[in-house]
Amino acid sequence: MYVCLCLGVTTHTVQQSIDAGARTTKKVAEACGAGSVCGRCAHTIRTMIEASASDPPGRRPDRLRRRWGRPPPDRQ
Amino acid sequence: MGDAAMSLVLAADYQVPDFDHWWAGLTRDVRRLPGLGAHHIVVYRSIEDASRVFVTIGFRDRRPVDALLRSPVMFSWFDSAGVEEFPPMFVGEVVEKLDLGSPDGSAGPAASASTVMVAAIAPVGQLEEMRDRVHAAADRIAASGVRRFWIYRAVDDQAEVMILLQIATEKQAEEWIRHPDAAAAFMSQAREGAYPPLFVGHLVQAIEVPQD
Repeated sequence: MYVCLCLGVTTHTVQQSIDAGARTTKKVAEACGAGSVCGRCAHTIRTMIEASASDPPGRRPDRLRRRWGRPPPDRQ
Repeated sequence: MGDAAMSLVLAADYQVPDFDHWWAGLTRDVRRLPGLGAHHIVVYRSIEDASRVFVTIGFRDRRPVDALLRSPVMFSWFDSAGVEEFPPMFVGEVVEKLDLGSPDGSAGPAASASTVMVAAIAPVGQLEEMRDRVHAAADRIAASGVRRFWIYRAVDDQAEVMILLQIATEKQAEEWIRHPDAAAAFMSQAREGAYPPLFVGHLVQAIEVPQD
């Protein structure tokens, strides 16, 4: 998904910046440009930062592996 | 795949402070869209939150995404809706339009007031694997009330999809969300990070964009 309309920055790029240590919208803007022009994507960036804080990279196996989930036992 | 399958679709899930005001002004906004190459807009409204909408805009062909997103028309689209904070935008192309019909073999119902649309945007890993699972489970999915199962692949991430499901009734949609089929593991992947929570709503209108 695209987060920053002004610069066409994607969630993937923003997430990389967060994972590399950017923990504020200002730091994310410095790292990848997202939010540095009109700033109207700041809410989404903050949401991603908060989600990362409660679910850091090492504890995100599903998202990082990007695997199609296993079916629940009763639906196999 | 035909031209329609290769065209670009933009989708966003957001809240409009005053739906009626926005809806009344939508015609004015639609007039600005042909310059961007848009040919249709589909608007859905959430069942649970009347201010929440899910909008898809279809484009005639592949356009440079960056130019599309930073177009003044796109900014004015949100401005006129009173949307201050831009939602994350899904930009992709359709890869699968599975019309399932009813379990009794009759054709699927056209979207009606009772038809529910469930939208999910999520990472799925191997898209082809997911498509195979969906095809293999088609009868079971149809029996759950799902009438249309449309899959769009993001242009910026080959592992990210938008799924639009048309489900016959609200009750069946609720059941599907609580206990999605094994082939629909993406249901639990939505709502993480920037991904919006599942959208569950009714079709408001599909609008053909008048061309210049």
